[in-house]
Amino acid sequence: MLKTVLKREIQHNLYSLRFMVALALVLLAFILGAVSFVRNHEDALAKDRLARAEFLDKMKEDATKSLTTLAVTKRDYPLRPRDNGFIYDAKEKYLPDAITFSAWNVFGFRNRGGSVNPFLAKHDEINWSFIVGLILSFVALLFTFDAVSGEKEARTLALALSNPVSRGALLFWKYLSAIVSFVFVVTPGILASLLVVLFLGAANISASLAAEVAGFLAVSVLFAASFAAFGLLSSVVSRSANVSLLLALSFWLLFAVVIPNSSAFLAKKLYPIESAKAVEAKVNAAHGDLSKNAPPGSWSMNYGNPFMPLHELRANLQMKLLQAEKAIRDASIQAMSRQFEKTRWLTALSPIADFEGLTEAVVGGGYPRLLKVWKDLHAYQGQLLAFFQALDAQDPKSPHWYNPNEDVSTTRRPVAFETVPQFTERPMSLADRLKPAIPFLLVMAISACLVFFISFILFVRYDVR
Amino acid sequence: MILHIAKKEFLNNLLSARFVIGFVLCLVLIPFSLLMNIDDYREKSELYHLDRDAAEARLKSTRVFSGLRPEIVLPPEPLSLFNRGITGQVGNRVKILLGEKPLLAEGRAATRDNPFLDAFFSIDFVDIAAIIFSLLALLFSYDAVTKEKESGTLGLQMSNPVSRAPLLAGKIAGILLTLLPVLFFSFLLGAVIVLLSRDVAFRGLEWTRIGLVAAVSIIYMTVFAFVGLLISARSRSSVTSLVVCLFLWVFFVFLVPNLASYAAESFVRAQPRDNLTRVLADMDKVRDEEISARAKSLPKPDWDMNWYSNGGADGYIENYGCSKSYFEWYRARAILSEPIRLDTADKKWAPQKSYLDSLNRQARAAETIAMISPAGVLRRIASALCGTDRRAHKADMDRTHEYRETFIRYLKGKDIFASFRWFTPTPPETFRTADELIDLRSGGRFKALPEYESWRVEQKDFRAQFEVLRKVKVPGDKPDDFPFIDLSDLPRPPPRPASLRLGLEGSVAGIGLLLVEAIFLFYLSYVAFLRYDVR
Repeated sequence: MLKTVLKREIQHNLYSLRFMVALALVLLAFILGAVSFVRNHEDALAKDRLARAEFLDKMKEDATKSLTTLAVTKRDYPLRPRDNGFIYDAKEKYLPDAITFSAWNVFGFRNRGGSVNPFLAKHDEINWSFIVGLILSFVALLFTFDAVSGEKEARTLALALSNPVSRGALLFWKYLSAIVSFVFVVTPGILASLLVVLFLGAANISASLAAEVAGFLAVSVLFAASFAAFGLLSSVVSRSANVSLLLALSFWLLFAVVIPNSSAFLAKKLYPIESAKAVEAKVNAAHGDLSKNAPPGSWSMNYGNPFMPLHELRANLQMKLLQAEKAIRDASIQAMSRQFEKTRWLTALSPIADFEGLTEAVVGGGYPRLLKVWKDLHAYQGQLLAFFQALDAQDPKSPHWYNPNEDVSTTRRPVAFETVPQFTERPMSLADRLKPAIPFLLVMAISACLVFFISFILFVRYDVR
Repeated sequence: MILHIAKKEFLNNLLSARFVIGFVLCLVLIPFSLLMNIDDYREKSELYHLDRDAAEARLKSTRVFSGLRPEIVLPPEPLSLFNRGITGQVGNRVKILLGEKPLLAEGRAATRDNPFLDAFFSIDFVDIAAIIFSLLALLFSYDAVTKEKESGTLGLQMSNPVSRAPLLAGKIAGILLTLLPVLFFSFLLGAVIVLLSRDVAFRGLEWTRIGLVAAVSIIYMTVFAFVGLLISARSRSSVTSLVVCLFLWVFFVFLVPNLASYAAESFVRAQPRDNLTRVLADMDKVRDEEISARAKSLPKPDWDMNWYSNGGADGYIENYGCSKSYFEWYRARAILSEPIRLDTADKKWAPQKSYLDSLNRQARAAETIAMISPAGVLRRIASALCGTDRRAHKADMDRTHEYRETFIRYLKGKDIFASFRWFTPTPPETFRTADELIDLRSGGRFKALPEYESWRVEQKDFRAQFEVLRKVKVPGDKPDDFPFIDLSDLPRPPPRPASLRLGLEGSVAGIGLLLVEAIFLFYLSYVAFLRYDVR
């Protein structure tokens, strides 16, 4: 019996016009998105090669000057564009794409400004996450909004219930069939996109890609379950399919348009942080204070004589300045992170935001990736500092007065570039990806169950006449 | 007869759930979008005032002309709260430099405090209008024909002595009659919110612009109403019509605008910014090398000692307490270097312009592709009318270029590169020779420079070498001894002209396109309806 219901529902969905139109639209979007990605990615890689070559050249040049120059120079580590951006770009284009560091500190991050055309309105990339999150969520609603009210209007609902099948089972199979139909729409799209990307050589078949695709499919199914639940809810709330549709559309507008687009506003209103100007003022005040109270002669400089005692004063002063600034800036960056994370928590109300959080985890990109590189770069900075200090200790011509900003009072020997430790970004491990995603997973799963449960209760009381 | 049908349709619609829900959606979304953007505008205005005051203060606290760098702070456009256009993406500050023409404005207000927030998008009144009005238009028209067919009343109506054309006209009038109040209500609500807000004040011209946006929205809504009508007249059942309409809606309103930008970004290449930065840095390097090579031939000063010196980017130098010949040397150097600097700025413009052109080409491609969708057209028209599009920004930047020329003319009018005031406020008649300075500063211990020099090289203590020169304070050897430059004759940047011309120019093509689409769709639905099988 149950099989019959499921079969009937799925057939009903698959042979319907909405399925055909959805499939056509989705295939179109997937293919156009994939082709655009390939071109875009080529471009991004070319830009990245340039930036990376420049980064290394500068480092080599500094290494031939002296080890100290290498250690104290601030450099921007450019983040590499991800090869799996066709699954989800995680809005990395708009996030900082370079982290500034020296051997003494990891200073901050910035958007190098090359990734965004300021004359182009802010937009989403057409990747899998966008298509599933925006278009297929709509499709999931369209598959379900009239599941109950539509059948009631067509007067087949009473007929179906006259069979020996419980209401709960009927609703559940309707739910399941909507999800299965959804999979039938997504899978061809994903395959088409994969083919384009693989065929044009923007990605290679690998275990990690397979895992990411599988992960994406799994997350999409959960997402479809969540939206289908909302569709069912709007279907059982109303007695007419028309009203169901409007309710479903309202849900969709709320989740796809209102909540995601109000995030920045909510962040500023609910979780205000210090303005950049205030932070800057604090840094300046700390600098002024330290410089004013520094022992006289701290700013005297004689490059010719590294052992001039005043150099030690300034080395100490510069170190204190660095630490004072670091404390203020790190606190500010932490405040930024908290503001961002809290806001994301708030937007978790929308399954679309949850879905984005989850796909971000699947591809290992976006904000969690930035945080991870930020953390890893701190470890690297420690390594670089240890390397510098070890070599400096061996130099009898160095007074070993560590100055984080100048190349005066530490070793002036050049260093072989090949021996300098290098930083390479490692892809995020499974644990790294899962940890920030678990809350989104829970919220989405729980809300899907909850909404389905409410629909179930309403359906049990539904007047089928 | 038409009136009769229109009235019936109108009353039918008015009582329907879709009207109520549509109205509620507007009631919620319009204030939501406006309040968000008013807040954003308030923040931008505050920043504008802070930035402008800071720029003014910096300008007024200059003592030498080489440090004079006016900064233009562009005021936020009040209408950006209806349509943000590219205002969130471009900056608002332009520093007038001698060594470089303005490229892009700096200082994006949106993400100054937290760059992570850049990953969040925002939405404005016109976006909401594009979403809601099209949805409502489709929802009221998708079953205009099919519903009556399904309920059997269409055939009944046809049995009356009324031909199909007036029937269709009546239906259209009925739909528009239903939609227009919602649209007017939305704009009225927007106007009330703006009027009640203390953070923003509109003048007459701004209301005119909003009125034009409202008028264009009517055409936009009509286009979608005709789309729904056409699909309805081509479908056998309401459900079919509805499904097709909704997919078209998602396609046109959500997919096409994003796809347009993404495709343009992918297929129309913009030059990498890093490349330009490198090219410009190389040109600067060549310039600096040329300047220092040519400065080598200048007669050497007898004593190259600055008592107080400051300097910075773009040729800023400020010196006090130098010997007369050193001041002369600086002057000779400025006469030589500044024309080269200006000349290099002109040369740098070629790669700068080619970079800007590539950005513009990409943006134009995105705008053109987005015209496939009436929503793209509406956004483009609205941003042109609201003065938040590329044209408006270009006009702003063009004015900064003009102002730079004016500023250079002002400097040249004073023959300032050949003047000591370029780098020091010290009047030339008070300049002293090196010997006089040594004598004065050491309190008579050294009578002449060679005497001091021969003593100095024997001193081990670096600081003692100069301590001896601090015996007597010479007036005019530090900045505080001089007033700031009198800027009363400095030409000020012109304000943004208030004119509708640019907005109209930028929107006329779009309005034409929308009208043509409306007429074409009307014709198609008319033909489809004439052929419709009412059984």
